[in-house]
Amino acid sequence: MAGRPTPGCLSDLEMESEEPTEVEMSSCFLDEETFCQCCQLLLQHSHSLCDGWSWEQVKGSEGYLRKTALGTGRTRCILDQQGNSSDQHQERTFSLSFHNDEDDEDDGAVCCIQEESSSSSVVQYEYHILYSCSYQTPVLYFRASTLEGRSLCLEEVWDSVHPNYRQRLQHRPWDTITQQEHPLLGQSFFVLHPCRTEEFMMPVLKAALEEHRQVNYIVTWLSVVGPVVGLDVPLSYCTQVPEPPHTPSSSPQPPSSSPQPPSSSPQPPSSSPQPPSSSPQPPSSSPQPPSSSPQPPSSSPQPPALGTKPG
Amino acid sequence: MSDNAESPTETQKDEPSTPQQPTEDSGMADDKKKIDVLLKAVGDTPIMKTKKWSVEKGRTVQSLSQFISRFLKMEANEQLFIYVNQSFSPSPDQEVGVLFECFGSDGKLVLHYCKSQAWG
Repeated sequence: MAGRPTPGCLSDLEMESEEPTEVEMSSCFLDEETFCQCCQLLLQHSHSLCDGWSWEQVKGSEGYLRKTALGTGRTRCILDQQGNSSDQHQERTFSLSFHNDEDDEDDGAVCCIQEESSSSSVVQYEYHILYSCSYQTPVLYFRASTLEGRSLCLEEVWDSVHPNYRQRLQHRPWDTITQQEHPLLGQSFFVLHPCRTEEFMMPVLKAALEEHRQVNYIVTWLSVVGPVVGLDVPLSYCTQVPEPPHTPSSSPQPPSSSPQPPSSSPQPPSSSPQPPSSSPQPPSSSPQPPSSSPQPPSSSPQPPALGTKPG
Repeated sequence: MSDNAESPTETQKDEPSTPQQPTEDSGMADDKKKIDVLLKAVGDTPIMKTKKWSVEKGRTVQSLSQFISRFLKMEANEQLFIYVNQSFSPSPDQEVGVLFECFGSDGKLVLHYCKSQAWG
């Protein structure tokens, strides 16, 4: 795919004007380096607010943002025989997974169905922001438990989704929030599915591109996904957190460096390619035969959106 | 602001006879103050015939979002996204008045909206 711009590096896109459609498609992706930069900038602001975000490093290379917070959620408690629960503010509701049909009248037959009450209660949340190589986007993992330490089940988490998103969730709950193994910790976490990230990121990234400005991908992304699962993102993040620095592919753009044949550059990126932000090496002066543009050090040759996925 | 309307517990503590309706020229006149919101469609999202709306300051983003969704006759499987400054999405619980104070220009708050089959 000659002429295809390097996906995943937002600032590079400003240089590529020959194929706007492909640029738009690829602009929704985030490379890992930019992910880290955006996270660090978010972290700085978080520290100034005492907002509770921290950076956790795993295996010496992969890291993620982490935050715990108290929020509200809808949790269940089992009703006793008189139909009472210890919670005074209960409501009789049935979850997404239960059927309110004639089975309930048949006392003896289906003993596994229990009548539960759902109530609003304080929930302890733990949020993790990880980078997904497969989707080339950030992904939000989270855990939720009551103050007594009981983990919420999936249905309770679905019930706790912000009302603004409830209808869409109820339409396709399994496509929205499910439980998965945390890629780095190996523990069970809830995940907000990332497959549609590009859809809601696209308007912002496209506008930024047209206006020759950058955005902090993580801040924008978090402002959309956070409220779904009770994570508050104060407005000041959207005004105070800067964008990641430009990669040094600015003005003197040698023509040979711009269109890089992605599949034919099997360079081992781990052999320290220029880290885009920290060393301002002009691309033309770097003696890199395969490609002279500062390729973001993702773990594989930049895949086109359809091509081979890294990792 | 609409603190009284959104804090039912406070209302109960007050004497029931206390009128919650603001008098004409009391300090509560601010409650009725509205801001101008300009709604702009993004991508191939349907464009609203009426783009400029006068919205009470205390109204939440969620309430506005629901309004737009109904106006556009969106389906259950569709999600509306709203953007400020085309750079971030405001929390659904955020009041539009606050957004106007922070991000309003030329006497109005410009919000971009986008419809999508979210999450799936």
